[in-house]
This record gives sequence, C-alpha cells and structure tokens, in this order.
Amino acid sequence: MNSPGERPPQATAWRWLGWLWLGVLTLCAVWLGWMLRHGLPADTDLTALLPADRQVPLVEAADRQLGEGFEDRFLILLRADDRVAATQALGDALETLVDDGQLARVDWRELDLADADPHDWMGPWRYRLLTPTWQQAIERDGGESLVEPALRRLFSPAARPDPVADPFGLLDAWLARQPQSPIDAADGLLTLDAQGQHYSVLIGRLAGSPYALPMQQALHATLEHFQQAHPEAHLLRSGLMFHAAAGARQARHEMSTIGAASLLGVLLIIGFVFRSPRVLAQLLVPLVTGSLFALALTLGLFGRLHLLTLAFGASLIGIAIDYVLHLQCDRAIHGRAFRLRRLLPSLILGLISSVIAYVAQALTPMPGLRQMAAFAAFGLIGAWLTVVLWLPRFKLHASPFTARLAERWWRLCQPRRRLPPWLALGLALGLIVLCTLRLTSDDSLALLNPSPAELMHDEAQVQQLLERDTGSRYFLVRADDTQALLTRLAALDQRLDRAITAGLAIDYQSLGRSVPSAAEQDANLARVRTLYGAPLESLIQRAGLPADLAQAARARLDDAPRLTLTDWLATPLGQLQQRLWLGQTESGEVAASVVVSGARSAAIADQLKAIADAQPGAIYVDRVARIGSLLGELRRHTAGWIAAAMALMTLALIWRYRGRAWRVVAPPFGATLIVLAVFALTGVPLNIFNQLGLLLVLGIGLDAGIFNVEYARQPSAWLAITLSTLTSLLAFGMLAFSATPALHYLGLTCLIGLASVWLLVPWVRPREPASASKAPKAPKAPKAPKAPKAHFEEKSHA
Amino acid sequence: MPQPTLAHRARRVLSLLLACLCLAAPLGAYAFDLASLQQRLAATPSLAGKFTQQRRLADLGTSLDSSGRFSFVRGQRVVWQLERPVEERIELTPEAIVNGSGDRTPPGGEQVARLFLQLLEGDWQALASRFEIALAGDAEAWQVTLTPKAAALRERIASIALDGGRYIDHLTLRTPGGDTLAVRLYDQHPLTGEAP
Repeated sequence: MNSPGERPPQATAWRWLGWLWLGVLTLCAVWLGWMLRHGLPADTDLTALLPADRQVPLVEAADRQLGEGFEDRFLILLRADDRVAATQALGDALETLVDDGQLARVDWRELDLADADPHDWMGPWRYRLLTPTWQQAIERDGGESLVEPALRRLFSPAARPDPVADPFGLLDAWLARQPQSPIDAADGLLTLDAQGQHYSVLIGRLAGSPYALPMQQALHATLEHFQQAHPEAHLLRSGLMFHAAAGARQARHEMSTIGAASLLGVLLIIGFVFRSPRVLAQLLVPLVTGSLFALALTLGLFGRLHLLTLAFGASLIGIAIDYVLHLQCDRAIHGRAFRLRRLLPSLILGLISSVIAYVAQALTPMPGLRQMAAFAAFGLIGAWLTVVLWLPRFKLHASPFTARLAERWWRLCQPRRRLPPWLALGLALGLIVLCTLRLTSDDSLALLNPSPAELMHDEAQVQQLLERDTGSRYFLVRADDTQALLTRLAALDQRLDRAITAGLAIDYQSLGRSVPSAAEQDANLARVRTLYGAPLESLIQRAGLPADLAQAARARLDDAPRLTLTDWLATPLGQLQQRLWLGQTESGEVAASVVVSGARSAAIADQLKAIADAQPGAIYVDRVARIGSLLGELRRHTAGWIAAAMALMTLALIWRYRGRAWRVVAPPFGATLIVLAVFALTGVPLNIFNQLGLLLVLGIGLDAGIFNVEYARQPSAWLAITLSTLTSLLAFGMLAFSATPALHYLGLTCLIGLASVWLLVPWVRPREPASASKAPKAPKAPKAPKAPKAHFEEKSHA
Repeated sequence: MPQPTLAHRARRVLSLLLACLCLAAPLGAYAFDLASLQQRLAATPSLAGKFTQQRRLADLGTSLDSSGRFSFVRGQRVVWQLERPVEERIELTPEAIVNGSGDRTPPGGEQVARLFLQLLEGDWQALASRFEIALAGDAEAWQVTLTPKAAALRERIASIALDGGRYIDHLTLRTPGGDTLAVRLYDQHPLTGEAP
C-alpha cells in the first residue's frame, strides 16, 4: 500500500476503505453545509447544558427579564473636579454616537429623566393606598395622631400643600415607601450623591446588541478620547456591553500573543524535526477531517450545538495529533521499511482507550456533557481514520536528520535506573492522601466570567453606589389569578418586613408594596374615611382654613378608583417595576418576582429559603448559586465518569499487558495525580475546566504509555511522544497564561499534566523490548532495578 | 475736500472702537451685575433673623400663614424654625429636608432644598442652567427675577422674584396655578460662631 510495486490483496481492500472514508467525509461536508444553511444553531446559555426536565421555564423567564436592564443599556458614573464641564464634554460626545445610530439614546441632563410629578398621575388612587404605619395609626386612635404632622407639613416652605385633594399628605407618605431612585438632579445634570462624592450619571441605551462590534469600538474610542482630554476625570462603568467589549478585546489580544506564540512554537518544532512543510500540512488534515466528522454527526444527533461543546470538544480532538506524530515519526525513521501493521495495534488501543472515556461520559444524564463527549469521540474516530487510511498515502520526504535526531534524543534521555513498581505505588498513595486532605473545589460563577478585575470592580462599585442589584436573588411567586397573587405577595412582604425588623440585613422590591389587593384597597378607603372625620376637622380648624373645606375633601373619596396592577405598571414609577411582573405562565397561572438586595451570606440564604418555604406558591432562587451548583454538578459528574473510565481502561490494559500494565497507566494516572497534588499544595481549586484539561492529559498520557511500552526500544516512539506532548503543551498549556478563567484552568492543567507525562515516560519504560509485531501476550518484563534512590541522569538541558 | 481713503476710514472706525472700549471698561467694573450681587451676599457667610411666610392658595381663596425664626449658613444649611401656628424645626441641606422628628420628608425634597439654598446664596451660576435671570436696580435696592427655561419646570414654577439690599428681604414664588408663596425675611443680622 505504501511501497510501490508490491500490492497484496489486503492493500487493495485498504485502498477501497480509504476511498469509502473519503466518500463519507464528502457526505458529511454536504450534510453539514445543508444543516448550516441558516447559520450555526448554537446555544450560549449555560442552562442549556442542564437536563431538560430540571429546567424551570418560569425561572428562566424571570432570569431573562431581571437581566434585561443590564443587557440593553449601560451606565457611566463620572467624578471630576470640574464635574459640569467634564460631564458636558462626555455627554456631547455620546450624543454624537446617538446621531450616528450606534446608541438609541443617552440620558445625562437633569431633565432627561424628569418624569411628570407623581402627584399628577397618582392623584385618584391615593385614597386606597396606605402605608402600614398609617393603617396602624388610624386603627389606634382614628387618626388623631396624624393631625400634628399634617399641620407641620402644611406650613413647610418646601411642601406643596393641597388641602382639598390631600390635606394629610397621604400620597407623600405612600411615595416615601416606594423604591426611590438614588439618582437626582444637581447643576443641571443627573447626579448621584454617595459617600460624600458627587457623581454625574450618564445612561446609554443601546440601539442593537451589546455584542455589536462597531458600537463597541465607537464607544470605546469615545471614552478613550474623553479620558485623554480629561485625565483627571474618573469613570466607573457598568453594563453587559462593557464586559462583552472587554471580552472581545481580550480574545483578540490573546489570539495575537498566546495564540501566535503557540502556533509559532509548533511550526518551529515540527519544521525543525521533519524539515518539510508537508508534514505540517499533513498534521492538520486529520484534525480538520476529524472536526468535520464530529460537527456533522453531533449536529445531526443533537440538532443544536452548545458553544462550550465546540470550544472544548475541538480541544479534545487535539489528542488526535498523537496518531499523526507516531505515524509520521515511524515513517520518517524507517522510510521504506515502514509498515502500518506494526503500528496498528497500538493506534487502535490508543483510540479505544480515549474513546472509552468519552463513551462513559456520553452515558451521563447531563446533555451538556453528552454533547461534548459525542463531539470529542466522533472527532477522534474521524481523525484516526484519516490518519490510518490516508496519511500513509501522502508522500513524506523523510530527512535523514529526523532519524539522527531521534537516535541522539533517545540516547540523551535514557535514565540509568527505572522506577520500581512498589516505589511508584508508594508515591501514588502519598499523592492520593495529599489530594484527599488538601484538594478543594470551586464552582463559582466567576469561572465563566472573563471580565478583567478592573471592570468587575467598577461594576461592583456602581451597583453599590446605586444601591442596585442585577436581580440575582429573588422570590418567584405564583397564584391562580392577579388578586390571589397580590395577596400572596403582600403576605410574603409581611414575612420579609418582620424578618427585616428582626435584623435581617436585606431590602426587597415587590409589586405587593405598590399594589395592594382589591380587598386591602377597600379597607384602606374605609380607614381614610375615618381619618376624614374628626381629625380632618381639627386639622382645618388649627390651620386656619375655611371650614367648608372638609366637605370638599370628603367629596374626593366618593369616586376613588382602585389601583390595578395594569394601571400601576403603566405609570412612570410602575415602569421601573415591570421587570418584576412575569404575567401569565404556560400553566395558566400568573407570576411575579420579588427581588432581594443587600447583604449576602449562607445564613441569610437559609433564612430566605425558610421564608419561601413557609409561603405557599413561593420559591427562592439564587441565580449565582444556581449556576454554581450546575457547574458543580457538571464537575462531579465528569469526575465520576473519568474515574469509571480509568478503571475500565485499566482492566482492558491489564488484559493485554498483564504485569506491564502499570507501566502503561503510570504516565496518564501519574500525571493526573501530580496535577491534583500540585493543585492541592498551591491551593488551586478543582473545577469543571481543569477537569476537562485532565481528560486531555489522560488521553495523551495513555497514548504515550501505550507506545512507550509497545515500542520500548524504538527511538521513533520516544521522539513521537516528545513531539506530541510538546506540541500539545504549546497548543493547550499556553492557555494557562490566558486571563479568561476557564481557559486559564484548562491550560494550567495541561501545562503541568503534559509536562508530567513527558517526564514520567522514560522512568517506566520497560528495559526489555516488547516487539510490537510479536503481539499481545508478551512475556512479563523482569522488574527493573533495585536501588530506589540514585541520581538519575536527567533530561538534557540542550 | 478729498474723499477719505479706505485706510482713513478704517482708522476712524478703529479709534471709535477703542474709545468705546475705554469708556466701557470702567463702566463694566462699576456696574451692578449678578456677580457683584453674589459677592455682596457672600460677604455675610451666615446670618439669622425672622420670617413670615404666606402661602396663598388661589383655588380656595385662602392662605396658610406662618411665622418663625431662621438661620442660614452659606453652602451648608438653612434652619427654618416654625413658631406659629405649629412648632416645627425644618432643616434644609443640599442633601435633604429633615423635619423635627428626623424624617426626610417629602421624598425628592432635596431638589427643593437645593433650590432654596441656591436662591439664598445667590448662586446664579447654578441657577442659570435652569432659569433665565434678570437683574434690576442697584446695590442698595435690587430685584432679581428668575423664569424657568424648561417646560417641565415651568409646570411647577411660573417665576421666582427676590429683592433686597445688603441681604435678601423678600422671596416670592409663583406657580402656574396662581398660588404664591411669599416669604419676608427681617431683623436679619450676621451670625458669629455656630448657627442654632
């Protein structure tokens, strides 16, 4: 098949298989093209990785609705000595972005947010809205105690008394209990006074997606330009747009530094060893065909693809580079004497062991993991088939240098002693103990957050200054109809108020605080009628107002309408609360959220959960904790299945290698243990991303272990192992320098793990050659050296 | 007589301009403008006195009358000590209006408080962003009229008038509905030491 002239029947069959595989790939390409005709159906929402029956659609809806304000607008706080001029400059600059159509609008002047006075539009409803304090006061003494404060209010220079419509100031008292925006006006600008500082507030509304690149660049340029012109001005930024822009900038930056460095490294190494640009191209062919095969089959199987699957699945296919390198090294060194048959058993074993791990993962109940595993397994199989069926057909201009290099490298890396199994076992046990004692885990949401610390700090400070939250903790309340819902909300509010009075350091926003149930509104009106009896007359008399005023005031109560939820949500104040209203659910119920802000702690979370449990129709949701527990679940599942796969692989390897099986598993398992031990010692917590990295380490380590034992005496195998760990180290290990936590952890694991694999391999190499052509049942290798301690000739530092 | 050349005429215009400038400069320095009024008011960093306040309610054809004492510390606060018909201490600071029981009332009152402070201080720069300001009279008897620029503010305030000499003597606020708030300040004297 590869040496011209001789062509046994098997070779012809092999050739046919090759063409068949090419046909399959062509079909895949066509199929994929057809499936992608409307673009890639990709999920980005992390919760799409959850099992379907566990996703609560209402929680998802609430999450989305509460996050909206964060997504479609941004907020800038500006602090400067010459605040007015600086704000004017920035505001004008942002206005030009509105003119260019990049932003929908910018609010920064005093009057940009001036809503009509609540006194104008709340007028007719005020007689049915009472704060609990006023309810109690009226019930206590008919409202006599409210006369004195009302009198003071009438004569305050700042009040705008309206003795007919509202002699007692019902509305002001009620409004004081409604959520107030901390933003007000000063010097003609929207201003926030907090912690003794004046901040100008500039609120931008996006015209399109926060991910739109032209808008991000235009806004970035505007802000940069402003900072250069006003270096003394201090800006605090908040909004998804800034995080998206920072993410995009960081990705571009890392692509041009880390990405370029690893690509250059791989090119240099492969170029140096093989002295042929062809090998480079041939290195890519299996990876590309593998990805094509995986993409088509996974999409066909699942219908959609999660972006996380794409990112990590594509990395896992990187293991396929092993097959290429082993094949090419062997060919380069043996030239015409190369026989695929000799390599085939190890290649098959390598593939099976890696695929077992993924098949195990594909059996988990987590759709996210299943998808990822299917993608990686299909990719590996595809790449492997290309390597075996097609790669030997391509011409390889083997340079004699490669063989010389392999020989020299082989001699350089011969340790004089080898690791005895009992020592290896002892060390492994030690590391296991260390890991169980010290290893921690972290499933926090921060892992998925690629934003730079500076921006996160800005965000936190803005949230704190605005006493605002992004709606990450809330109660979800459901009921059969709106009145029942309002009653439940009022009951929940009461529980919360009691807890707050008892010292619970939170605040909350609830529709129940603004819109009482119809029954409650009727009761309030009755209370106001009581207040408008003797207390009103005494107020009018003491203020020196005409007595007939009482009659005019009472007349206002006669046609006081009820405030409905729909009315309220249409008012300027109610619009701020629209995010709390979820409306009709699929099951025909109505639902609303009650957003919690303030202190966070496990104790507070428990207390809030208890409050929700006591209230029928209410559940407590903590988005951050929810995503954290989801990540944790993903992590535990992967860990469990990795362990199961390891056990299964070990059994398969024992069956083939018997006593030498430990030499095969020592590099992958040893490297895994070393990674975990290093994490345990340095306090790096275990998370889903470094576990995915471990999968990569396991796959490459296992291939290295198999080839190391099968071809113990062949310099080409050692060269291939070196090259594959080195290139993977460059491709994945370099990600350790990424500022994105997910990539950083994946990279860090690969960096330590792959280096460990490479260092472990020579130590566990059998002294006896186990010729590969002589297959499975090779005799047990006599166990190597006795001296446990000795200085080994270490790797070169060429 | 020969026609004046172009150069001639230009020189004439120039000298005329110069003459005007020379005349205008000392005039400008001595004219009583908003800046000098502000300086004059600022000469008293804090003062105390008495007030009467009459709020005329057009719809009812009646008024709410009150009186008391006040003290004012520039840039910090005004304390409005109501004595008749009800006792109440109201403190206005740039941050809030605080009544005798320590409550911040009414909500959004800080804007009213800030306006009040700016008026008493004669902080025309701050006021100019929202009001057209007109000054008449001289240093001993001046009148300032403020008219809101924006429609939103015009819905609440029709005009504000101030008059006085060394101190502000009268403050009158008119609403579009016809209500007026007239405040007379009298018996004013500079404060030394801390305000009450």
